[in-house]
Amino acid sequence: MAKKSTAKTPENKLLVGIDLGTSRSAISADNGKKKWVASYVGWPRDFIARKVVGKPMLFGEEAVKHRLSLDMYRPLKNGVIKEGTARDEEAVKELIHHLITLVQNAKDAEKIRAVVGVPAESFKVNKVALKKAVAEFAESLFVVSEPFAVAYGVGALDNALVIDIGAGTVDFCIMHGTVPAEEDQRTVLTAGDYIDQQLFTFLEERYPEADFNLNMIRRFKEQHSFVGESKENVEVEIPVEGKSTVHNITDEIKRACESILPAIVESTLELIAKFDPEYQDAIRENIILAGGGSQIKGLADYLETTIGEYGPTKVKVVEDPLFGGADGALELAREMPEDYWTEL
Amino acid sequence: MHNGDSTKIKASILREVYEDNLRIADPHLQPIHNRYRQGIKKLSRPVPLLFVFFACLLFYFIANTGQQQGPGAVDAVTIQPVFPWAEIIYKQQRLQSPASTVSFDAGRLLNYDLLLNHNNIRLSAIFGLGVQTIVIDPGHGGKDPGAIGSNGTKEKDIVLDIALQLRDRLQKTGRYKVLLTRDTDTFISLADRVKFANEHHADLFVSLHINALPQKEFNVTETYYFGPPSDLHTLRLAEQENRGSEIMTGDFKDMIKKIGNVLKEQESETLASTIQHNLFSNMEKYDRVIADNGIKIAPFVVLLGVNAPSVLVEISCISKREEETNLNNPEYRQRIMASLQKGITGYLSQRQTQVVKGENNGKKIHRKNT
Repeated sequence: MAKKSTAKTPENKLLVGIDLGTSRSAISADNGKKKWVASYVGWPRDFIARKVVGKPMLFGEEAVKHRLSLDMYRPLKNGVIKEGTARDEEAVKELIHHLITLVQNAKDAEKIRAVVGVPAESFKVNKVALKKAVAEFAESLFVVSEPFAVAYGVGALDNALVIDIGAGTVDFCIMHGTVPAEEDQRTVLTAGDYIDQQLFTFLEERYPEADFNLNMIRRFKEQHSFVGESKENVEVEIPVEGKSTVHNITDEIKRACESILPAIVESTLELIAKFDPEYQDAIRENIILAGGGSQIKGLADYLETTIGEYGPTKVKVVEDPLFGGADGALELAREMPEDYWTEL
Repeated sequence: MHNGDSTKIKASILREVYEDNLRIADPHLQPIHNRYRQGIKKLSRPVPLLFVFFACLLFYFIANTGQQQGPGAVDAVTIQPVFPWAEIIYKQQRLQSPASTVSFDAGRLLNYDLLLNHNNIRLSAIFGLGVQTIVIDPGHGGKDPGAIGSNGTKEKDIVLDIALQLRDRLQKTGRYKVLLTRDTDTFISLADRVKFANEHHADLFVSLHINALPQKEFNVTETYYFGPPSDLHTLRLAEQENRGSEIMTGDFKDMIKKIGNVLKEQESETLASTIQHNLFSNMEKYDRVIADNGIKIAPFVVLLGVNAPSVLVEISCISKREEETNLNNPEYRQRIMASLQKGITGYLSQRQTQVVKGENNGKKIHRKNT
């Protein structure tokens, strides 16, 4: 790896790396601060709601908590800002602003230089809108695709495949010593949210009397997700007619998590097969899992075995899936030569 | 990776990020020298022959239309960023003569009228509109049972079951987001169905219905897309399905204006025909005398109001006793679902081969004020 920070940051400038995700957004700043919020923005529905929540705008978990009083936006749901949705664009803008204020030191704060990682599909479709959204709060900025930021952060610059399993999308990106082009990237829509939906349906079928909601389902998934064989049973408490009751959800969790595997394996094989045959082996031996979905137990082993049928395969998991993208973006910001930071 | 190598790669990557971002601000900027190298590298990779063939064909077509161009059509269009294939060809040109300018004057190449009126060229293919959200609309529901068979089988239950299965099947591919206008036995007005599809930015809308005919011995499969009614039977059917639409005449007139939407009509027609073809080949296996009424045009409110390409499928006729019995068989319904899925994915893959996905959903076609 190259040594950190080739250029010294001028005073009164704050470098930040932002990972704008479909479910969570994170920021890492070079003052050492790291923060994340759920990617929700909510505006009070009317003046009464405004009075109840006490703020003109709410973010993240706080917004989720008060969702009944708010017009809620999850601006990058499905990985893109839908065209013509002014409110979604505004929500992106506010979300970024909020993230920046979380890491800034004081009110008269430093000028911001940002590198923003966004879902691959969004990078393709919305990069102009995204750039505009950040422009207001930053002196200078770069927009990059999220899996690329992750790859840069872990130093996987050549002959590597990053699989970033998020909530709305799974993004694939092959690195070969350059900024990945469109054909080096792929997006599928069966990701974390899809697992939630599946788990919800399976549990509804098996325990029709149990009373649960999507939030609980998400929690079960985050705590217990696995694929392949599990030694222990997964047991959770779900109320039945108001009484907390233990339910065994091992099979359902397994089935739900495994429902995203076919699309991942297929896309991985497809992307590698399209690549220059001389380098295919090298890429297969350097697969990196990122994003919240990389935490599914047994996933790396499963992929190693399945893709291993096509040749030796190694799958690694990034150390910090929550901040992997933001840290990578910050790394890019740190190493960006001074003269590339042009004022907007 | 050696340290030296890594530093070199990083320097070149950072430069590319810089240049890429400059281009976001100004898409007319010339690509950098690195891109040339990348271009060469990519061209040396095996490119599917079919892709190149289509690209050349389309390029040839557009180039030829330029000769027929009269003054005052489109002033100047930057084509380069829209089509990846154009980029490849353009890269080749750049490699041969690095001094030529990036955006070439496409006013000479593109004839807008021709684009809109030429039947062989599909707009969605040109602008690279990829599909993401499919809305499936099981007809009727709740207090509105739809058509009822002589044994009491209700249209609303059959179409709901097929729609639920269809959603799961399509979703498993991981390629589309699939939404249902209703996933339970509830009444939803036609206006709300339209609103639902538009609010969720549907890219494709498929409404499922089952017909009932006064002539109980007949069984018919047909698929509709929006337009003025082609015959009396269609008008009657449209009246039947439009009932309870809760849409005012004024709104209806506004909606009628949308008929001019060439793109939607072209796409709806193609979608209708692939679905009809697949569905009929399936139904024929069970009912040898089932009639293939093909694709038809009808003024169904749901089809008009939805912004996306939309079709309405009348799967079969519950009024025929044997058909009603069949529809009560889960396996039979599964076959119907599979043929609908085949129709939808068939249409999408057909589009995929034609769609060379454009950056920014084709937004990068710029008009220049010359």
